[in-house]
Amino acid sequence: MVFYQVLMLVIFILGYVLIALEHPIKINKTATAILLAVVLWTVFALMAPLSNVFSTVGDIATSNALHESLIAHLGDTAEIIFFLLGAMTIVETVDAHDGFSIITDRITTKSKRKLLWVIGFITFFMSSVLDNLTTAIVMCALLRRLIDNKHDRWFFAGIVIIAANAGGAWSPIGDVTTIMLWIKGNITTLGIMKETGLTSLVSLVVPLTAITFMLKGEIERPAEKIAENGAKASKKQAWLMLCMGVGFLLFTPVFKTITNLPPYLGILLGLGVIWVTTEILHAKNPAEYDRLSVLASLKRVDIPSVLFFLGILMAVSCLSTAGHLKMLATGLDKMGNFYITDIIIGLLSSVVDNVPLVAAAMGMYPIDPSITHLATDGAFWEFLAYCAGTGGSILIIGSAAGVAVMGMEKIDFIWYMKKITPWALLGYFAGAGVYILMSTLIFHT
Amino acid sequence: MSYFILMIIIFIAGYICIALEHPLKINKSATALLLAAIMWAVYSLMGPGFSHEVLIAHLGDTAEIIFFLMGAMTIVEIIDQHDGFRIITDRIETKSKRKLLWIISILTFFMSAVLDNLTTAIVMCALLRKLIDDKHDRWFFCGMIILAANSGGAWSPIGDVTTIMLWIKGNVTAGNIILETLIPSLVALIVPLVAITYIIKGKVTRPQTNQDSSNKVLVSQKQSRIIFFLGVGALLFVPVFKTITHLPPYIGVIFGLGLIWTVTELMHKSNKEAYAKLNVSTIISRIDIPSILFFLGILMAVACLQTAGHLDLLSKSLDKIGDVYIINIIIGVLSSVIDNVPLVAAAMGMYPIADVGHFAVDGAFWEFLAYCAGTGGSLLIIGSAAGVAVMGMEKIDFIWYLKKISIWALIGYLSGAGVFVLMSKFILHT
Repeated sequence: MVFYQVLMLVIFILGYVLIALEHPIKINKTATAILLAVVLWTVFALMAPLSNVFSTVGDIATSNALHESLIAHLGDTAEIIFFLLGAMTIVETVDAHDGFSIITDRITTKSKRKLLWVIGFITFFMSSVLDNLTTAIVMCALLRRLIDNKHDRWFFAGIVIIAANAGGAWSPIGDVTTIMLWIKGNITTLGIMKETGLTSLVSLVVPLTAITFMLKGEIERPAEKIAENGAKASKKQAWLMLCMGVGFLLFTPVFKTITNLPPYLGILLGLGVIWVTTEILHAKNPAEYDRLSVLASLKRVDIPSVLFFLGILMAVSCLSTAGHLKMLATGLDKMGNFYITDIIIGLLSSVVDNVPLVAAAMGMYPIDPSITHLATDGAFWEFLAYCAGTGGSILIIGSAAGVAVMGMEKIDFIWYMKKITPWALLGYFAGAGVYILMSTLIFHT
Repeated sequence: MSYFILMIIIFIAGYICIALEHPLKINKSATALLLAAIMWAVYSLMGPGFSHEVLIAHLGDTAEIIFFLMGAMTIVEIIDQHDGFRIITDRIETKSKRKLLWIISILTFFMSAVLDNLTTAIVMCALLRKLIDDKHDRWFFCGMIILAANSGGAWSPIGDVTTIMLWIKGNVTAGNIILETLIPSLVALIVPLVAITYIIKGKVTRPQTNQDSSNKVLVSQKQSRIIFFLGVGALLFVPVFKTITHLPPYIGVIFGLGLIWTVTELMHKSNKEAYAKLNVSTIISRIDIPSILFFLGILMAVACLQTAGHLDLLSKSLDKIGDVYIINIIIGVLSSVIDNVPLVAAAMGMYPIADVGHFAVDGAFWEFLAYCAGTGGSLLIIGSAAGVAVMGMEKIDFIWYLKKISIWALIGYLSGAGVFVLMSKFILHT
């Protein structure tokens, strides 16, 4: 490691600590995250031997290469950010029209235990079809209608994060990292479902069972909020918005498959159509328009969490450009035992974004049919999908689902670490244990 | 070829819906998002295919502008909420519309030559809110700000994205672009200003300050000064930051935002009431997200036309005209419909830098291109980044601008162009 790389690492850790300690030191984590990104890129731009990093000659060529790499990173980041913004706005609009009440009115149980299992399982299976982010946002909006008490709701939101990440790990289309592994041919659809389906389920069921013994009592439903100006969507409008909103969220993977365009464009298409619909729906009634149009929903979307995403993803992308992640992967390679390598990658993915981590691992090891665990559907790849997917639940900012939920519910980093992290860890290791047993005794003997 | 024509039809239809936002009662951001998604879908399904990297690079370019805009708007909003602009507006005592018009316009013109057009327009627009109460008066002044910001950016090598492009690629040199386009740019502003001076009369009414007084209790004079100088300092620091680090401007802007955010967190730590009103998380919810989504939609739609080859075709057919001056004038007019960055990029890609003649370094073609692409954007409110930002802040309506401002912008644009052509033919490039 050269001096600038050490310096960058120190800055990253320092920034991370400040983000985690947001509440005690009273500095908003978004401010820290964007400063972190800026300072890291500045150190990199000023101190790194750029002509070596980008293998170019000449000042202009080098600064162009730097800019191009930044644009590509920003483009990747913006895909996630606009997806998040679009999905959150759609969900807010459905919620404003009382669309989710149609679902929550059907969930009559008030027992915390029952609700825990209902929510956990719906999230798990929903996130294996939809992506984790959308699932978490929708479930979080449902929770708002179900639970009044803030800390009860936070706890359930934590379970939603665990379930969404676990549900994404076993399906080839459930998570960005599994999609990556699937598209590049490291895993096959059936292989991943067969080998990690049970494992992922274990990583959810174990914490759920443990929590069941501790949890008791009933939840309180929030009183129905009536807008100041009395504007309320009719039953018909609520149904329309629920069907359109959920329909477009489900349509996004279809849109992607048909057009080969990235998911955010599908979401924006959906948002555009819903926007036009609400404009027409509420054109005649100004009071309704003020409260129910997409303009009103956009005001409720949490912009600081969007900027937080920008900061944290650009910071990690800087480490990835500067070669830290490659160094990490090389270091992990020395472990020898690939199960341990994957478990560590999973733990790290709660700190660093899991996409560049998995990309680094994929770059390190080529698919090799002659080595059993590195062949297509080999144990290394399957286990990598499981670990990178579920490991993100260990910290609240470890996964996209976590960041989105944090923004919607203003959950605090430390609170999550105290109340949810132990369960996430329990599930993570239980699932990992089951995988290793299954893999060594049944699948890859 | 069918997808090629279909895309043009969709673009025009979308553009008309955007322009007719108010009569149709469909928000223009919704239309712009649909426009982008539909055009890319059409191109992807019916076109010859493209790689995902192309789309990522376009989104990256767009996101650079969007996050710059978000950052700058938030900084300006923070200053505003802390009553920082009072430091300037208290010094402007005149209430005469005529005087105010000249002060604001000239200030904007020179400010935008140093800062970029977008920042200048946002700052000046925030100032106007403190100076003018009547909505339509303010809109009119905002229109002049757009005009002045765009013409101020055209003559300075660091004033506008397109001049920066031409300068960095070596098509123009810093000294020469100032020499040749300063006067035309100034003419493009002064001619409409003089004309308007004869029409406009009366005084402006300042807005009542009772709304601010609630914040005034919470913010001390010293605090609002600190925030003002920090905010303006951060915006001025952006070009410096870019020069030192070679990192794109949005990084400089979010750097400033991060710093000011931290400062306000520390400043209002002990006062709960002030924190509730003045912390950046609250202030940030005041910035206009629909205009950011509008930008996303319209820039991605134009990027799609660019990828599909429409812009190349356009510049090729312009090439057949022959006369470099007319080509540039048309490019300028087009730049009020299409973003000027891809237009100038297409022109730069079409013509290599020659050794002698119009296309040499500092040749008339490049200088005039800088002028036309810069000032032509004022013709329509959505023709320039400054225009879109101001539209978002003041909710100015497309048609209103077309009726009240476009005519002055056109007069300025053509008279500046006339001056350039005369100067170029008789003095500079004889």
